[in-house]
Amino acid sequence: MNEALTIDGLTVDFGGFKAVDGFTTVVQKGELRVILGPNGAGKTTLMDLVSGKTASTQGTVHLFGENITNRPEHIIARHGIGRKFQIPSVFRDLTVRQNLEVAASGEPGVFRNLRLHMAAEDRARVEDVIALTRLEPVLGTIAGELSHGQMQWLELGMLITQQAKVILLDEPTAGMTHAETFRTAEIINEMKGSHTILVVEHDMAFVRKIAERITVMHMGKLLAEGPMEKIETDPKVREAYLGSGGIH
Amino acid sequence: MSIEDTSTPTSSSSRLQRYADWAVYAVFIVIILGAPMVIDDVFWLNRISKYLVFGMLGIAIALSWGYAGILNLGQGLFFGLGAYMTAMSLKLMSATSLQQGSDKPVPDFMLWNAEPGAVTDLCCINKGSFLWIPFQSQWFGMAMSIVIPLIVAFVLSSSIFRLRVSGVYVAIITLALVLLVRLLLIDAQPITNGFNGLTDLGWLTIGGFEFDPYMVETYYVVAISLTVVLLLGRWLVSTRAGLILQSTRDDPTRARYLGYDVAAYQIFFFTISAGIAGFAGLLYVVAAEFASPSFMDIGFSISMVVWAAVGGRNSLIGACIGAILINTVEATVSETEIFKEAWKLIIGGVFVLVVLYMPNGLAGIARDLLARFERRRKGAPAETAPKAAE
Repeated sequence: MNEALTIDGLTVDFGGFKAVDGFTTVVQKGELRVILGPNGAGKTTLMDLVSGKTASTQGTVHLFGENITNRPEHIIARHGIGRKFQIPSVFRDLTVRQNLEVAASGEPGVFRNLRLHMAAEDRARVEDVIALTRLEPVLGTIAGELSHGQMQWLELGMLITQQAKVILLDEPTAGMTHAETFRTAEIINEMKGSHTILVVEHDMAFVRKIAERITVMHMGKLLAEGPMEKIETDPKVREAYLGSGGIH
Repeated sequence: MSIEDTSTPTSSSSRLQRYADWAVYAVFIVIILGAPMVIDDVFWLNRISKYLVFGMLGIAIALSWGYAGILNLGQGLFFGLGAYMTAMSLKLMSATSLQQGSDKPVPDFMLWNAEPGAVTDLCCINKGSFLWIPFQSQWFGMAMSIVIPLIVAFVLSSSIFRLRVSGVYVAIITLALVLLVRLLLIDAQPITNGFNGLTDLGWLTIGGFEFDPYMVETYYVVAISLTVVLLLGRWLVSTRAGLILQSTRDDPTRARYLGYDVAAYQIFFFTISAGIAGFAGLLYVVAAEFASPSFMDIGFSISMVVWAAVGGRNSLIGACIGAILINTVEATVSETEIFKEAWKLIIGGVFVLVVLYMPNGLAGIARDLLARFERRRKGAPAETAPKAAE
């Protein structure tokens, strides 16, 4: 099966205001899809709908053929959706290693986790992710003390450790320095192929570094979809962005 | 929390810290099990055994407040339930219960509250007195001391956490609940002896051996129970589930997105904590020979939180030692009239200071000192001492 994430006619109606309105798209396995759109286009709401934070009023979401529409967050997560938030969301009172260990558990149940040691394969996965994210020097540090960039990488690392099949990234470079943005692009490019990734992003320089296919949202609807070159020259896209100064 | 208190990586336990941790456990266990060899005054031993019971309550609080982030201001409910269940059985075993003109035991207060002409039998002497019938078995009463708190806590926490109630609202709900149950308990005078509680109890009897509270054997029952609970609790928080629980405390949303049913973890640990409190209630009745509605006073439940805060809510043994320490000081100080009056004020002040300046309590201070020692030994550049007051 090549269709990783199938969103069909997804709509949410907040008492008359449709933040996402009949949105349809198919993300292929291993694809890296960027979602662009002016403020208020419904990008974050779309992520909320897919990941179960907000219940949709119409439409369906399928993950590798399985219907995950409006299931509770942890069930959707167990089906293979991982999500990174705009504001880094890690376990601030736990160490970096403990954060990754929590993410690594192949077993969600309380009673199955009443044991002292992790499974060997989970442990191996933690080590792989440590290498990828270069968090080795800060493994013993409390996550709340990390720099902004490190915290973002830790969160990315947790999603990989979690073995999410489809990863939703909400503005992964927000608030990062140039160097940090560059490193983040590296990590995401390394994840390409082995993970299916959906990124919401504003930073065009960053989008050029990572993007393959782009979906543009406007007023909750799909406006355009295609490769970077096509999107940049699309008159509809230019018009939508007019108020915010066009794509830059 | 000030930035300083996270300056020492408390959970990234180095080898030295882990050894130190186990050393504290070992020393503590040796002390409580060895105490009778030093103290031969049985009255003091009895007193200490009650403080050890409070230490167990400290563990229960640390588990729910420190590890799960659930502030339960009604832990007295579970302690009280545990105490009453065992007290009911021991009441039926007391000599007076056998002297009420029936061949089966009937508590004396039931006669005082009986309808005129009622048969002197548990079945029908009062409305509801039949509830006492199974408590003629001491083992039933003791089992209920743990089972009833577990059931109540499970039902309560299931509704609270499935609805994603958190923070101060949990504190308010638990606080209200303990008050409600206390009222019901007092109101059900004919079967609970109301305000007066259950007094004049028999002794716990195992295999013909009677555990007189003023005997060293009874002290050992409490001390060994505490040791077992402490080690079990320690194991529990060291498991993967314990780590995941702490993650739900830090960021429940993140934990959900990693695939964990956060409510299930909260319910599990809240219920375990209640079971420990119920067990503490059982032991308290064995050592103190009474059960009273005062166990469900708000003040008592809040005291438990203070003990845990002073000892260190993020540390099971810290909270346990905190409880024992405060109670020992209180008992010593209360002999002086002036201090007796001022004690509540003092302890209130201590609580405020702890919350403001040492949120990890005594255990936190110990960890900080150890971390500083470790840094110095490694020859790291001398850092300025963490000033808690900043």
